[in-house]
Amino acid sequence: MDWIIPAVNLKLILPEIVVCLFAILILVTDPFLSKERKIWSAHLSWIAVVIAFIANIRLWNLQEATFTNMFLVDNYATFFKFIFLAGSFLIILISMSYLKREEILHGEYFSLILFSTLGMMLLASGFDLVVIFLGLEIMSVSLYVLAGFKRSDLASNEASLKYFLMGAFATGFLLYGIVMIYGSVGSTNLGQIINHITSNDAGSNLLIWAGAGLLLVGFGFKIASVPFHMWVPDVYQGAPTPITAFISAGPKAAGFAALLRVFLFSFTTIKMDWTMIVWIMAALTMSVGNIVALAQSDIKRMLAYSSIAHAGYVLVALVAGGETGVSSALFYLLAYTFMNIGAFTVVIALGRKGQDNTKLEDYSGLGSRSPILAILMTIFLFSLAGFPPTAGFMAKFYVFGSAVKSGFTGLVIIGVLNSLISVYYYLRIVVLMFMQAPVTRTDNERIKVAFCAILVLIISTWAVLQMGIFPQSLLSLAQASVSSIF
Amino acid sequence: MIGLNHFLTLSTILFCIGIFGVLTRRNAIGILMSIELMFNAVNINFVAFSRFVTPTALVGQIFAIFIITIAAAEATVGLAIVLLIYRNFKGINVDNINIMKW
Amino acid sequence: MLTGVSEAVYYILAAIIIGSGVMVVSMKNIFHSALFLVLCFFGVAGIYILLSAEFIAAVQVLIYVGAITILMIFAIMLTARLYSAQIKQSNEQVVPGLIIVSALLVITIFALSKTTWKLSSQAPETQTVAEIGKLLMTTYVLPFEIVSVVLLSALIGAIVIARRD
Repeated sequence: MDWIIPAVNLKLILPEIVVCLFAILILVTDPFLSKERKIWSAHLSWIAVVIAFIANIRLWNLQEATFTNMFLVDNYATFFKFIFLAGSFLIILISMSYLKREEILHGEYFSLILFSTLGMMLLASGFDLVVIFLGLEIMSVSLYVLAGFKRSDLASNEASLKYFLMGAFATGFLLYGIVMIYGSVGSTNLGQIINHITSNDAGSNLLIWAGAGLLLVGFGFKIASVPFHMWVPDVYQGAPTPITAFISAGPKAAGFAALLRVFLFSFTTIKMDWTMIVWIMAALTMSVGNIVALAQSDIKRMLAYSSIAHAGYVLVALVAGGETGVSSALFYLLAYTFMNIGAFTVVIALGRKGQDNTKLEDYSGLGSRSPILAILMTIFLFSLAGFPPTAGFMAKFYVFGSAVKSGFTGLVIIGVLNSLISVYYYLRIVVLMFMQAPVTRTDNERIKVAFCAILVLIISTWAVLQMGIFPQSLLSLAQASVSSIF
Repeated sequence: MIGLNHFLTLSTILFCIGIFGVLTRRNAIGILMSIELMFNAVNINFVAFSRFVTPTALVGQIFAIFIITIAAAEATVGLAIVLLIYRNFKGINVDNINIMKW
Repeated sequence: MLTGVSEAVYYILAAIIIGSGVMVVSMKNIFHSALFLVLCFFGVAGIYILLSAEFIAAVQVLIYVGAITILMIFAIMLTARLYSAQIKQSNEQVVPGLIIVSALLVITIFALSKTTWKLSSQAPETQTVAEIGKLLMTTYVLPFEIVSVVLLSALIGAIVIARRD
């Protein structure tokens, strides 16, 4: 029997290896740390993310596949990995004080965050449906556990169970889609799928179409698009707040990474077939997210619906397609990561032990209790609503611009109307913060913000303003990351 | 002669039974069982395609092994969550778990 | 194998799988469902042998029957009060569920019957175990390693979730 060991270039997979090794290192060292020193696990985990980030910088402008064409490093994947690593870095920082406050500081938390990040990175780089599927599973399995990490909290348990059942159900559809594509192509490698579709084997196109539809269902769950969004509000509300921020940033972007890779790069020649479906999904996702968000009285739930709505805006970019469409989607996801994590950091800062203070009335009078937090929250909310001069405005501008250019004016009109609706519920919080007296409450002491949380607030504010005022540098980065593909 | 379509039909029926179970079961373990039925349906498809479309490449069989492994991993996590919920809620019927409004 | 024999085996196995599958989703007693699940998994293993995938059949019996269902039965026993038959196990979505599922079934089977497959007439691999081992160590070495990480994170996750303080 002839054994051909495939040539492997480990340099390409270095960021993933770093993240994985550190996750295991944390598991090994954590039992030996005394209760006061558990925080070292957190430090190890952000160090891992920083090293992986540096390793990732060195992969910029590389276009190479390894592991028998299963793992592809190109600027598209590298850009997404920057988003994931930046998101995980911020989440690790805000988790430290939160976990201490809730007295659930365990090292496993951080290794699960790293495992989840590893899964996302594999999703972005996977060039074979096997790798994409397995990456999705590492990410999801870790997230199911993280959502239930506050084990004594009923809401957290419920979030974990709902997330798990919905996620596993969605995985079933995803797998059925993959098997349909495998059946008609005879391979799960995206390269061969592209070849097969471009050579246009008319007989089995119906099947690829069905497979694509089922994949859309599977990924639709992960990116929280309507009608696969039922799990979002409960999971977002019940999960520990840093995990809510994490789920809404990284995994959503990772779902889009795989979705864009499969649909825009592989199913290009049957684009007309699925564009209409995604068009409807985008319109529904934006509208349902924004309209239901109006009725929410809990900020985490409101941000959950807003997160659904934002998935809709990114879907608009998917409908637009092409180089401008994808680069605007990348820019949008990057901007969304920072503004969303920033908003959640403020939400965490207002909480007390065992008392999250996530009701909207908890925000009334924040402007007088803690002016700086209120101003920062206003910046993030303005960015989420899409006001200039913030990142949210530029991101929406590019997405809608690319859609107009591709001739989807109708969808853009729906999107702009939705942005107007969203202004109401974002501004409502700003009004509460600055124009209402604080609700009389017993714990009116000063709000103390941990050092790491301050750091996160500074980074996110800087990023939101940077991308809003001088978007050119990051936008050209986003454009460079897709130019190699089109 | 038993051909590819026989196996695909069987798999489709099993998949639909699984979906039905997920939609109608109230018990979390029952839902998990239905999801396992769906995974099995997918695996039948993979092995059947592997046998009839790429008989020498075995891609489908490898994929089936991965799916079985993942199913085991998911079941482990899922049942751990179920046990946790049971300890806290004293009941694992999904309908009872509703302290948050939809 | 004689054609007639394999046909008979297929129909018997299919009847077992579908019958026990229906029982799994419809039994009042969740414990009985788990037992039918075992039967269903055995049937699927038989289908794999029919498709000359002996290794997958062995894995199916070892992991699905030996590990996953046993795990589920344990979970059912540990959450004991619920497997008495008194508690209603299905919700009000039975009728809509039936409609959705049968529509899906009809559409899919129709689509399958309309599809022409790129069938290959080559003889199937006979040395599947050796070949699978080789593939896992060469072409599929990356997914193989990733799966080990998935298992590790699931293991850690299950311990984190289920342990008592």
